[in-house]
Amino acid sequence: MLSFIGKKLLQMIPMLLLISFIVFGGLQLMDIDPISYMVTPDMAASAENQEALREQLGLNDPFVVRYFNWVKDLLTGNFGYSIINGTSIANIVRTRLPATFELAIIALILSSVIGIGIGILSAIRQNGIIDYVGRVFAVLGQSIPQFFFGICMVQIFAIKLGWLPVNGRTSPGASGLGDAIVHLVLPVLTMTVAMCAVLMRYSRNTMLDVLNSDYIKTARSKGIPEWKVYIKHGFRNAMRPVLVILCFRLPMLIGGSVVIESVFGWPGIGSIITQSVVSGDYPVIMVTTLMVAAAILVASFLVDVLTAALDPRVRLGE
Amino acid sequence: MNNNMDYVLDVKNLSTSFISDRKEIRIVKNVSLRLRRGTTLAVVGESGCGKSVTVHSIVKLMPKNAKVSADHVIYRSAKDGKEYRLDQMEPFGTEMRKLRGAEIGMVFQDPMSSLNPVYKVGDQVAEGLIQHTGMSKAEAQKQVLDMFRKLGIPDPESRISDFPHQFSGGMKQRVVIAIAMICNPDIIIADEPTTALDVTIQAQIMELMKSLQVNDHKSIILITHNMGLVAEMADEVCVMYMGRVMEFGSLEDIFENPSHPYTQALLRSVPVLGLAEGQELGTIPGITPNPADLGPGCEFADRCPFCQDRCRQKDIPRFEVSPGHYVRCLKFDSFQEVD
Repeated sequence: MLSFIGKKLLQMIPMLLLISFIVFGGLQLMDIDPISYMVTPDMAASAENQEALREQLGLNDPFVVRYFNWVKDLLTGNFGYSIINGTSIANIVRTRLPATFELAIIALILSSVIGIGIGILSAIRQNGIIDYVGRVFAVLGQSIPQFFFGICMVQIFAIKLGWLPVNGRTSPGASGLGDAIVHLVLPVLTMTVAMCAVLMRYSRNTMLDVLNSDYIKTARSKGIPEWKVYIKHGFRNAMRPVLVILCFRLPMLIGGSVVIESVFGWPGIGSIITQSVVSGDYPVIMVTTLMVAAAILVASFLVDVLTAALDPRVRLGE
Repeated sequence: MNNNMDYVLDVKNLSTSFISDRKEIRIVKNVSLRLRRGTTLAVVGESGCGKSVTVHSIVKLMPKNAKVSADHVIYRSAKDGKEYRLDQMEPFGTEMRKLRGAEIGMVFQDPMSSLNPVYKVGDQVAEGLIQHTGMSKAEAQKQVLDMFRKLGIPDPESRISDFPHQFSGGMKQRVVIAIAMICNPDIIIADEPTTALDVTIQAQIMELMKSLQVNDHKSIILITHNMGLVAEMADEVCVMYMGRVMEFGSLEDIFENPSHPYTQALLRSVPVLGLAEGQELGTIPGITPNPADLGPGCEFADRCPFCQDRCRQKDIPRFEVSPGHYVRCLKFDSFQEVD
């Protein structure tokens, strides 16, 4: 198992390099001239000045040289600077990432517990009340767009009822756990509902499949209690495909919370991504894209490890 | 009473129907059969005739949309000498679970899918034993080892911690048999145990089952559509068609004196070695009717060469043509009618 994990980790290195190359190359193709964002209009008039600045920044170096310089900087922790306001990207990431993680992790835990739990229960009691209500909820949760649901929540609970804050991560001047929690409720709820719906449907269907399989009949023929049949023989087998879905939600929670973060004014990575794309802030785009790509790699690594842990055919097949 | 104790399983008028689209479709109708202790009863018939449904109804391993009813399903335990009314038990209640695995073991058709892919085979075999005896895992492992040896699984000490995917089909079926056998049950129900295996392995598995029956005095219900297997294995034979028992009798009764037209047709359609050149294998004309469309009277009427008008009027009773040999056909209405 350890060598399996080691091998999967080593495989990530060339993947990351390839992705960084594509990200770097792709943005070069976009033909953004960073100089035009950096210099004042009167300086732009002088072609000489511009050329001098280019030379100084290394923008005239061959493509490959520029790429390796960038990677070298990344590895030494120098993520570069935003060309819009000159702040260090490392700094942006450091302040923004925890906010995104906080939201993502809480939503992930809540939605997996609720979604998988209800999904499994509805499979066991197929066509029962939980199954029926769960199915209606799952269709609603999947079909209502997140931003719309978020806006509705804000309308109802923040504006009409005034129970919860409208946006932000903390109130100005306030601190403490209570304040953080009230700010979390609505964005977490919005993220959880959508994810819950997916997990619920998925775990219900895989569990139903598993419960129809022959080895469940074998388990029952041994005379073991039904809960053991469900948990020991059903659940573990049903979880393999569900975990794949779950892990690939990780990067979506980090990079894809763009909508949620803008609806709730949440100071995370998602809103930075939108801002930098709109303003052509390419060093920031490169770093954030790379981060999302890295998150996807980590997710697929987790999928591999967890599947191997759950399924001996994967573990021993290697 | 003593006479009754000979029958380890006694099923009277078992019927099973499935509810599908709010319609109730009768799959098994008034099946009565008895399993004599220490013998093999073969249940034969073409695919879809209700063989599997019958035995699954007996042990109550049925999906939720199934409705099972019976006059009685009695299991007579040799261990405590008691009679158990299976038909009165909750399908997944404690009483039924205590019998399942402990007194009635099951072997299923496809060993490839009958084992849970994520657990070691040894643990899967031990699971039932631990459940029924409460013994420790180490003790159970020892018994599993003994069982593996007895069933001819080579190198049991290391194979016991292998996973199902590391076994061949025949070896997997031995593991499934080990699961059925581990608690030393009286009855083994084998639902087409060799259909998914290739021919040489089939012979090995059947020999194994035969030896279990002879040496350990097990009673076996063997479901199959392979007449060759029946001839080798069975003491008594139950021929089913469209959810009904058409003929029931000893091996000799069925093979040497097949009485029901369906049994006769079935035996004619079995390929035998030394078929004369140009001799055609018998076939049964017509197709199997849809169980939802069956009218009154004999289920085989549409395909029967001896069919008369009276065959289609009402349910055909069973006639006892010789002691223990029952036929459900009006050709034999001169014999004693039994219910």
